[in-house]
Amino acid sequence: MVAFTLDGRSASAPEGELLVHAAARHGTFIPTLCHDDKLDPYGGCRMCVVDVEGAPRPMPACATRVAEGMVVSTNGPITEFQRTLTEMLLSEHLNESPGGRPNELRDLANELGAEAPFILPDAKREEYDDRNQLMGYDPDACILCARCVRYTQEVMQCSALSLEGRGGHARIVPTWELSWLDTECELCGGCLSVCPTGAIYEKFEEGTKQPERQLEQVRTTCTFCGVGCQIDLNLDPQTKHIVKVTSKDEYLPNEGNLCVKGRFAFNFVHHPDRLTQPLVRGDDGELHPTTWEHAIETAAAGLKKVIAEHGPQSVGFLSSARLTNEENYLIQKLARTGVGTNSVHSCEST
Amino acid sequence: MDVLRATALIAELPVERTRLLDNLGSVRREVGPITMELSDALADHMNIRRGEVHEVVSFYSFLQVPTDAVRVCTGPVCDCFGARDLLASTAGAIEVACLGHCDLAPAMTHGDEIVPDVTHSTNEGPAVGLGSGDATLTDYEARGGLAILRELPSLERAVAELKASGLTGYGGAGFPTGVKWEAVSREPGRRYVVVNADEGEPGTIKDRYVMELRPHLMVEATLIAMRSLDASEGYIYLREEYAQSRARLAGAIEEFRAAGLMDGLSLELVIGAGAYIAGEETAMLESMEGRRAMPRLKPPFPSQVGYLGRPTLIQNVETLAHIPAILRNGGEWWAALGTRGASGSRLWSLTGAVHRPGCYEAPNGVTTRELVEEFGGGFTDDVGAVVPGGAASGILPPAALDAPLTRDGLREYGAGPGSAAVQVFPTSYSPLRLLAETMRFFAEESCQKCTPCRIGNRALHHVFEELETGEAVMTREKVDEWLLAMEKTSICGLGQASPFPVRNAMTHWPEFFAPLGEANRAARS
Repeated sequence: MVAFTLDGRSASAPEGELLVHAAARHGTFIPTLCHDDKLDPYGGCRMCVVDVEGAPRPMPACATRVAEGMVVSTNGPITEFQRTLTEMLLSEHLNESPGGRPNELRDLANELGAEAPFILPDAKREEYDDRNQLMGYDPDACILCARCVRYTQEVMQCSALSLEGRGGHARIVPTWELSWLDTECELCGGCLSVCPTGAIYEKFEEGTKQPERQLEQVRTTCTFCGVGCQIDLNLDPQTKHIVKVTSKDEYLPNEGNLCVKGRFAFNFVHHPDRLTQPLVRGDDGELHPTTWEHAIETAAAGLKKVIAEHGPQSVGFLSSARLTNEENYLIQKLARTGVGTNSVHSCEST
Repeated sequence: MDVLRATALIAELPVERTRLLDNLGSVRREVGPITMELSDALADHMNIRRGEVHEVVSFYSFLQVPTDAVRVCTGPVCDCFGARDLLASTAGAIEVACLGHCDLAPAMTHGDEIVPDVTHSTNEGPAVGLGSGDATLTDYEARGGLAILRELPSLERAVAELKASGLTGYGGAGFPTGVKWEAVSREPGRRYVVVNADEGEPGTIKDRYVMELRPHLMVEATLIAMRSLDASEGYIYLREEYAQSRARLAGAIEEFRAAGLMDGLSLELVIGAGAYIAGEETAMLESMEGRRAMPRLKPPFPSQVGYLGRPTLIQNVETLAHIPAILRNGGEWWAALGTRGASGSRLWSLTGAVHRPGCYEAPNGVTTRELVEEFGGGFTDDVGAVVPGGAASGILPPAALDAPLTRDGLREYGAGPGSAAVQVFPTSYSPLRLLAETMRFFAEESCQKCTPCRIGNRALHHVFEELETGEAVMTREKVDEWLLAMEKTSICGLGQASPFPVRNAMTHWPEFFAPLGEANRAARS
């Protein structure tokens, strides 16, 4: 631990901790836009600049590490820069909410009372339309913090987005302006989840129309595989239908990351064809709702009949990738000791 | 595009990430402008993600442009001398921010050729001695060259002489050279020497003069630095536009090699691809490592964590060119070359409204008027404004013609000597236009990484363009706030320094900026 001074008070932090984290642990919130704990320090947006005694100019708290004896001020005249930088970003921020996602720049602008003095004549960026059905992108909401690009490069290790050009012509586009479907993109939506202004958003109708902050969140475990990613189902407060899935950095084991299924493949939940209760085929040849007890008895009777007629090796078990390790273990136990067959397979193995 | 040629060429290219810019340059020269297909093929060959190569290709101005393109420079001096008309009347010409040939303004290149031709107008100074130039290594040696390299002083003595001389970095930042050498020498392990030959500040042509006229001097100085600091690898990062410098340096390095003066040392040229910001030392390292030339956060400084994470001495061409004379004659001798209390000698790029634009060696402490009268053949017009040391140094009124071009001498004007690129503008060229063009340069050359530089320079370019028609789109109060944020919160020197010419112009020509003040009053009432 090292001792340092934060706004005139004594403070301590593990040596090398980023100033933005050390300050947060002492109850001092320093605004950031380009910073993301999943990514290497970048220091691009400059929103988090603080005064450090002895430094020739303000330092970015997101990229400066605490050192013994450091004297840091986060309040006072330095906060004027936050308002000015916010004004600058607003002067080329033509669309504040293309897809209902939260906009941290708008939040800061409200908090600081910042307004764009004028709109830059070259603020309008070329529109981007992608034929994929999951993610939309409005370059006019982008603040070029490059969190999305850095996420693809540092977390996903894929080539999906590029920070193209320089100066006023710089923009973020899927690599070579291809469709995301034609890049290495897996449509995991991670870029979307790290975007601080909602420039990348869920494209499907329902999720796009409603402001995310007005949705009800229900935390649950993703059912798609055994990893157990923690997710928030976002419900329309009126219909109680799921309209989008999000996750949070503090959720383990996934730390807010999701795959394309976990983030986007939830429409089965409210699908009319979804099975929601056990069905057993009656003598009339049609499926009829029944109880779990009856359904299991019927299945067991069928299996026992086959075993009696053809022997246990005539039965095979096929388990799903959506089960956990423990559930898969139980399936093979049932197969081997209950039924007496070694024909066990999981779709994960192919 | 010749697919077979591209495939064959790319297959032969080295795969180290540090070779990316070089490889892109080879493909551009041998096959053609870098397209998505070429970029992807190279990315696959080098095992780099396609998106990252796309990012690099799009960052530089020239990789997607044919090598034989006609380029017209629209930097401030060229703009003053009719670059826009030349651009409009030259079919197929592309506009570039600065070609580094302001002495030919308006400058134009056709491929590697300068149109009509390179000329040198210079003098024989005591330290760099550009006057006669050296055709070969033998010529160079006959003039007393190689003495220091052959009998290298100890590092301690070299540092002591450099400190005694008071030599500071002549790229514009002015860091004491002796201190830098010492800092690098104290870092353990493998070290590198990088020569910053990416001269790009509009008006600055001095490094080109050194490389075109005395390439052997620069190479010797580089080898002295490498041997002194025990660095076996050195690199010269040269801007793409300097074709003649490229040829001369390559020739000189070959002569040194053939003469056995480079045993155990490797010195390579790295050719840029059109990006002013690559001249910022940490952006240069990023560029050399095969990434977009975006400045790193400092600290750490390159002397501690530089090329490939190793301690690196980064030295401007001209700075190096003074070192052999300092080590030969002593730091005190060099310091005494200065005048009016300043130390040493310097190369001054002199362009604009003067009869003999060129690059001249003269003492530190000299005034603009002395330079123009002694070397430049006098003014061609009444002087409207003078830029003392490159675009970011300031924009000053004619009264500054008699100010010594030193930090102290220019302090009262709120300016500095920067890269010693003295540009004289006639009264016919409005200071407001000069300011707007200067901000346009910074806006286009901003790497875009940090908010204040990316947006501030663009916004102010717009504000001053509108002011030319008398309209204020921003209040004076906001302009001042934004300038302060740019100066204090930008990552690198580009955004930190670009407010200086703005403040100068607002101080010295208040009449042009009156509408901003009126907007201020309107906003308050």
